[in-house]
Amino acid sequence: MRALQDVDVDVFQGEVLAIVGDNGAGKSTLTKILSGVFPPDRGDLYIGQQKIRLANARQAHELGVSTVFQTLALINCRNVACNIFLGREPTHWRFFVDRWKMLADAQAALADLGVHIPTLLGEVGELSGGQRQCIAIARATSQQGKVIIMDEPTAALGVKESGKVLDLILRLKSAGRGIVIISHNMHHVFSVADRIMVLRRGNLAGLRRKKDTTPDEIVAMIVGAS
Amino acid sequence: MKILSTDKFRHVLLNRTVVIALAAIVLFVLFALTVDRFLTTENLLNMLREVSLLGIMAVGMTFVFVAGEIDISIGSIYGFLTVIMGILVGRHAWNPWFGMLAVVALGAMIGGGTGLIVTRIGIPSFIVSLAGLVAYRSAALLVSGEQPSVTDGLGSFYVVSGGYLGGRLPWLIVWMATAVLLGGLVLSRTRFGYHVFATGGDGEAALSWGVNVRAVKLLCFVIMGALCGLCGALLFGWLHVAAPITGTGFEFRVIAAVILGGAALQGGRGSIYGSLIGSIILGMLSSGLVLLGLSQQWEDVATGGIILFTAMLDWFVRKAGARFASEPRSAE
Repeated sequence: MRALQDVDVDVFQGEVLAIVGDNGAGKSTLTKILSGVFPPDRGDLYIGQQKIRLANARQAHELGVSTVFQTLALINCRNVACNIFLGREPTHWRFFVDRWKMLADAQAALADLGVHIPTLLGEVGELSGGQRQCIAIARATSQQGKVIIMDEPTAALGVKESGKVLDLILRLKSAGRGIVIISHNMHHVFSVADRIMVLRRGNLAGLRRKKDTTPDEIVAMIVGAS
Repeated sequence: MKILSTDKFRHVLLNRTVVIALAAIVLFVLFALTVDRFLTTENLLNMLREVSLLGIMAVGMTFVFVAGEIDISIGSIYGFLTVIMGILVGRHAWNPWFGMLAVVALGAMIGGGTGLIVTRIGIPSFIVSLAGLVAYRSAALLVSGEQPSVTDGLGSFYVVSGGYLGGRLPWLIVWMATAVLLGGLVLSRTRFGYHVFATGGDGEAALSWGVNVRAVKLLCFVIMGALCGLCGALLFGWLHVAAPITGTGFEFRVIAAVILGGAALQGGRGSIYGSLIGSIILGMLSSGLVLLGLSQQWEDVATGGIILFTAMLDWFVRKAGARFASEPRSAE
């Protein structure tokens, strides 16, 4: 049994692609392949015309593919700047962290997204779910990536905070980034997506432009009723 | 949005190291006012010298704690390496400087061995170090034949370990200050230090962002081991004797100092300077209670009470920090 089989994905800049499907459809597996967490058994990855091979997530970042995991992968006891630049801290002489630059760049990254955080010096674990999500997104955008993958970006958020995250997604799209979101929430998918890809049991069940489909049709594809 | 100047001020106040420093000052004033001969230069320098080796070991233990691990074998390793130093120098007439290099290197290897078992095989550090606590204690007795090793204490090494700088300042305090400054610099200002915090804070998250969590933890254990070796050499240089029971129970004082200084058992939090202050607090307790004529047991009771009080204080400080972080700011 394969988690994923014969799935082709195209992601374009300035567009939001939503990947939907029931539990076990292969969404997480696809996300992890695209973000470099593990390699596919078969198939190729391209950025533009360039064929790439992702050995790990760090290489994916370097090639312009950033991921916001469902768990957010934030270090709760560290401050906002430390989290945004974890693994790529700006340094003097490649050894001493340039704290002021890191703080200033973190401030700029959040300002670019129009995100308000009361203090950059507090622990990230003390912030709300929406604020933490925004910090995770700021980390992805500050890497100047071409593609940002977001796994269930609104799953743990309330109505107001979900709205802010969806606005953020549209802002990133307007800025020319390619966005891939994985979501169970059909309302959120239809509010931001340009194209919707449906996975069922590891296979591609359908690919539709949002303006050419309806939530009912998508749900039918998910459950196999279409 | 901007970083407000009041943010930094409030964060200073809610900073754990600041809180423990204030507690140390309060304790110092208390002893100075109530204990005869506490506030003399001689007593204060002696007190600092007594906690110098504790302070050096606390540097290493801080790295291990912040990385999310623990090492309860350090007292036994310290004793074992002191014995080795004594055998090399006292019984085989090695140059004590080479002896020091040898035990520091051996300590680093021992720490590396612990680190490899923890990171490669996956056995919890508590278990590995528990085994080490027993094994190295026995090894010290075996290797020494349960006999101390002695030296005549002549030579530059003994001056620079157990002697006085300028005839006044114990060299051990200089060694401690150097270890604290270097350790503090590395932990709080370098990329490696930032990765130690990230590893202890959430190892999986750190790994997903390219931090080599295994290498970070391994290096922390190596630092701990090397500092055990350094302390073994310095103790021998100071006392001119290496006793096989050296370091018995010492690990708990080191852990107490580090916890007092703000390090969290679950990792991701800690401060070299906080651990230094924790060591000094323990030193003040010891000095003050001895001057009051109280027994060692009272010192242990007081140490336990202070650790509990510190943990409760820490809880209040974190609550206050969380409340502050959630308050809206009006300057934006």
